Amino acid sequence: MFRRTTQALLFLCILPIARAQESDTPTVPLRKLPTDVILVKGAVPSASDTSTPLPEGGVVAKDVYNNDYFGLSYALPSGWFEKYKGPPPSDSGAYVLTLLRPGPTDKHSSRGTLLITAQDMFFTRLPGQTAKETIEQTKETLQPDYKVEHAPSQVTVANHAFTRFDYNSPVAGLHWYVLATEVRCHTVRFVFTSPDPALIETLIKEMDAMKLADANAPLCVAGYAEAANSITYKVDPTWTEQKYNAIPVRIIIDKAGKVRHVHVISAFPAQAKAITDALMTWRFRPYLRDGQPVDVETGIMFGSAPRAKASAATSVNARRSSD
Amino acid sequence: MTRRVIPLALFLSLLFVLQAFAQVDPGVRGGAAGAGAALASVAANNPVTILNFFNDAKARFTEIDSVSGTVAGEDGFGLGPRYNSRSCVACHAQPAVGGSAPAVNPQVADATADGARNTVPSFITSTGPVREARFPFFFDQFGFPDTNRPNGGVEDLYTIVGRVDAPASCTSASGTGIPQPGFTAAINTGNIIFRIPTPTFGSGLMENIDDSTLLVNFNNQQNNNVGVGGTFNHNGNDGTISRFGWKAQNKSLEIFAGEAYNVEMGVSNELFTQERPLPGEDQNLGNTGLPAACRVNPTPEDHTNFNTTAIGTLSDTVQFAMFMRFLAPPTPSTTVPGGATSIANGRSLFNAIGCAVCHTASLTTSPSRFTPSLGNATANLFSDIEIHHMGTGLNDNVSQGGAGGDQFRTAPLWGLGQRIFFLHDGRTKNLVTAILAHDSSGSEANAVENNYDLLSASQKQDVLNFLRSL
Repeated sequence: MFRRTTQALLFLCILPIARAQESDTPTVPLRKLPTDVILVKGAVPSASDTSTPLPEGGVVAKDVYNNDYFGLSYALPSGWFEKYKGPPPSDSGAYVLTLLRPGPTDKHSSRGTLLITAQDMFFTRLPGQTAKETIEQTKETLQPDYKVEHAPSQVTVANHAFTRFDYNSPVAGLHWYVLATEVRCHTVRFVFTSPDPALIETLIKEMDAMKLADANAPLCVAGYAEAANSITYKVDPTWTEQKYNAIPVRIIIDKAGKVRHVHVISAFPAQAKAITDALMTWRFRPYLRDGQPVDVETGIMFGSAPRAKASAATSVNARRSSD
Repeated sequence: MTRRVIPLALFLSLLFVLQAFAQVDPGVRGGAAGAGAALASVAANNPVTILNFFNDAKARFTEIDSVSGTVAGEDGFGLGPRYNSRSCVACHAQPAVGGSAPAVNPQVADATADGARNTVPSFITSTGPVREARFPFFFDQFGFPDTNRPNGGVEDLYTIVGRVDAPASCTSASGTGIPQPGFTAAINTGNIIFRIPTPTFGSGLMENIDDSTLLVNFNNQQNNNVGVGGTFNHNGNDGTISRFGWKAQNKSLEIFAGEAYNVEMGVSNELFTQERPLPGEDQNLGNTGLPAACRVNPTPEDHTNFNTTAIGTLSDTVQFAMFMRFLAPPTPSTTVPGGATSIANGRSLFNAIGCAVCHTASLTTSPSRFTPSLGNATANLFSDIEIHHMGTGLNDNVSQGGAGGDQFRTAPLWGLGQRIFFLHDGRTKNLVTAILAHDSSGSEANAVENNYDLLSASQKQDVLNFLRSL
């Protein structure tokens, strides 16, 4: 009897180890599901390598928000913090980079938030194609609940050209001061919200200390992977389950015309793998600037959902849709 | 001792004062139900006979089903062999026929109705919400959730075992009948989530909003300053935008009705033609599906009738869809709760802080061949019918169509004032709690919820009053 019990206990102890060896994920058998983890994901971002910075890869560490993709280094207002991470990028290339809010030790003893977003302008659904145009559109489409404080104007922050637009809601007693700029064919927005305009002005002044833009980033060029005369070899990705989602993808093409990085901004895993595998085989004529080949970053839209611009990929997807 | 009591008394007094100024959910709006009537043109019998169809559809919606259709007062046919409740109206009842979960949960009585021998699961209580249960993952052979095998299908609460109209061969005390799902194990491993009924008032208007209108609204909201992205769920076969259900997984009201009839009541029909086993019960893994002895009736149990009157020809499923389609949208109050000024102020605040980016106040329907009220109408639904990431706090790890675990359709807010339970799983009756639940890791609504936090207590109260006026 004792022997049997010991064997049974031994079996129960070994069981989790044996299960862990059967599968790569999860490495530790789950006895109870975690309550705060999204295990079943929808469309998510992915990349062909783990070393190339991604727009969604920014982190807050030691009171600084760092985003290597945008070359952005922003010291948080004293006492502020990032409570939660944002959602994954959308299938129209919209990112929440971070949302900052005051903590209990906020030196300003006031309330407000700073939302930093990015919109990939290769995939925008907006009519505006620049930071300035999108901010002007914000003003033009401002709902009656808001009042313009200062019309969009050009300002320099941290030695970088921004478009600034201030508006408020009289009923809410809240002010929104928005500063937008362009980095790597993205519109990056800093959206300050507070009942205290003086607080926002202080925070905007503090923005001067931030760093923005990576001089070594590849040149971004719209439509380079969609222009027939730039591609020398391509294969179309195929996947079996049609989800009808838009799949925006960015690639970096090196000086030799090879794809060295694929960033699938939003896709289901099977779609992402098929697209990444296919794109890594594509070949391009090297992009020339001043007669010299340079690394270039561009975007392609896959999938069946409506898209902003006609593209070479349309024909690929039109064939898929008729299946 | 006295020294300690005085600070405590002061603290409690202060707390009381603070609470007096804090915003509170006004609760379910009283008075007459602001919903449940037919659309104006249906009530006016335009086109002629449509009102008869509506009234017949309502009667079917309220009919209780039994297995055989021969139990007194339970004339509906085809219940089970697995079910969550026994009529449409059992769950869609608040504040009127067609609504959401009522104050008294009928599922407690459903467990043993007509001799059934079910155990009421711990998550079903008489004052709690009507719930369906889902296991996000299948279990492995050791009884643990296997995260490599997503499930997510509905695990019906009850079986017909023991009912007076179920065959003896499916009522064996020795266990040869069909068992209830293993809810205790699911609860112990955290492998269970819940959904409550969605209200159906105004759903004909939602059905008749063209995809192009939704896409234009989507494009217009892209320039928001609150970090909202959004996308649509799509019908798997034709790729068009789907719109009904908590994750917008169903394309039409008829699909919605057919699936619910099959899943929630166990009635096979022309859209879902077989008796429904539990998820995995019919997977080709050595399982053999539902036992023949428990598949009592010929299928489909609900079907087109060939020898009756014009209305009687229609199947229940078609008429359920017709009922939902012809239900008028809820009528908001202009004065209750809090008065007209507070409600109007709350509406402006709702827009200003960004709630209306997703909870789009109104969309316009297309021309309708059904009835004039459905065509070129303004649907004040407070939804964009998109799916949005709602973060870890609301994630249920169930994927439906293109929606992942934390993606949910923007819940239409019309009729909110008279709803009892909130969020997809009915976890709260408190509107404030529901608003705060929009803020969690990975949620698109974090910035908007932060804006709400920036409001004063009286402003928040106005927002709550506005929402409860809907």
